[in-house]
Amino acid sequence: MNEAEARAILSVYRAGESEIEDARFEEAKRYAEAHPEIARWWAEQKELDDLIALKLVSTPVPSDLKTRLTAWEQRSSRRTTWSGAALLLAASIVAAAIMFSSSRGPFQPAVSMADYRDEMVSFVKVTPKLELESSDLSRLQDFLAKADAPARFNIPKKLKELGPIGCRVLRFRGHDVSLICFERAEGKLVHLLVIDAAAVAKAGGANNPQYAAEGEWATATWTDGGHTYLMTTQSDRALLEKYVSSS
Amino acid sequence: MAGLDFAQLVEEYYMPLYRFGLSLSRKESDAFDLTQHTFLTWATKGHQLRDPAKVKTWLFTTLYREFLANKRRAEHFTEAQEDAQFVKPPHVSPSVVDAIDAGIVQQALHALDDRYRAPVTLFYMQQHSYREIAEILEIPIGTVMSRISRGKAEMRTKLTDLAAVDVRKVISMPKEQRP
Repeated sequence: MNEAEARAILSVYRAGESEIEDARFEEAKRYAEAHPEIARWWAEQKELDDLIALKLVSTPVPSDLKTRLTAWEQRSSRRTTWSGAALLLAASIVAAAIMFSSSRGPFQPAVSMADYRDEMVSFVKVTPKLELESSDLSRLQDFLAKADAPARFNIPKKLKELGPIGCRVLRFRGHDVSLICFERAEGKLVHLLVIDAAAVAKAGGANNPQYAAEGEWATATWTDGGHTYLMTTQSDRALLEKYVSSS
Repeated sequence: MAGLDFAQLVEEYYMPLYRFGLSLSRKESDAFDLTQHTFLTWATKGHQLRDPAKVKTWLFTTLYREFLANKRRAEHFTEAQEDAQFVKPPHVSPSVVDAIDAGIVQQALHALDDRYRAPVTLFYMQQHSYREIAEILEIPIGTVMSRISRGKAEMRTKLTDLAAVDVRKVISMPKEQRP
C-alpha cells in the first residue's frame, strides 16, 4: 500500500462500523501507525469532518414546520378513531363502488372533496411560505406556468380587486396545486387553490359553488374549465361569498 | 405501529429529515413539503412497519423515494455507472477551515453531483451507519462508500472555492475607499 492509497482508504474509514470488515482498512490503519505524518493528516481529516457535521446540523429549520406537522397529526388521529365495524362498512362501500362503476367503464378513484379541502385548509391555516412574493398577478401566473402547475385559470373579479401578495406550488396526492394568496383590508389572507379537475371529486359549477366550514375557516369550491377551485379565508360564509362573486 | 408516538417521532426526526430534504432538493419549500409528505406517509402506512428499530431508516427512505419520484417527474433521471474506488481527498487550507459556516456547507452540498449529495449528507449527519445509508438509498454498501469517498473529495474542492469567494467578499472594499 502506498501513501495515496492509504489516504484514500482512511478518508472513508469510520470507527464503529462493525459490519464492515475490510482488510484494506486494517492495512491503512497500520500504515498510519507507522507513518506519523499520515496519522496527523488523518486526525486533521476527522476534525474537518466533525466541523462540517457540526455546521450541517446547525442549518436552521423553519419554525412553523413542527407546528404544521403536529397540527396535521391532530387531524389524522381524529380520522383514525374509526371502529372496526365502521372500517368494515367503509371497505364494503368502496368495494360496492368499484363493482358499480366497473360496469360503466374503468373505475377512476377520485379523492373526496372533503379530504382535499381538509388537507388544503390545514396547510394554509399556518401562513404558508410563498415561493414568489409579488402583487403582480400576471407575474405570479407566469411563475406557476413555468413550474408546470395550473396557471391559466379564472380568478373571480372581487378577489382580484383585493390584490395578490404571492404564490407557491403545493403537492396533493401526486398533483400540483397552485396557491395564490390575496390580502384582505384587515390584514388577513384569502387563499385560492387550483388543481386539475381530474384530481379530486367534482365540485359544483362556477355559478353555484359549494360552501363549507372548517372550524373558523369558510371554504368555497367549484369546478370550471378543467380546474377545481378552492377559496378559503378565516371568516364566515357571507364574506367569502363576496369574494367568490364574479360581478 | 403501536408504541411509537407520532409527536415523539416528529420531535426526534423532523429536523434531520428537513435538512436531508434541503440538501437533496436545494429548496426550502421542497424540503418543507418532503418532510410533511414523509410524516403523512408514516401516519397512513407506518403501521405496516414491523420492526420499531427500523423507524429512522424507514423515514429517511420514504423522504428519499419521494424526492426521486418528484425528480423523475421533473426530468428523465438515469443512474450512471461508476467504479467502486476510493479517492484521496484534496488538501483544505486552514484559512478555508476557518471560513466554513452552515451556509457554505449547504452551498457546497447543493453544488455536489446528484449521486454524491445524498450519501455525503447522510454521512455528515452522523446518525446513520454505512449499512443504514445503503438501506435508505437502496444501493450496495460498497457503492455507498465509494460515493462518500468521491463526494467528500468533491465537497472539499467546493468548500475551498466557496470559502475563497467568501474571503474575497470580506476583503473587497468599495473603489472609493481603496487607498
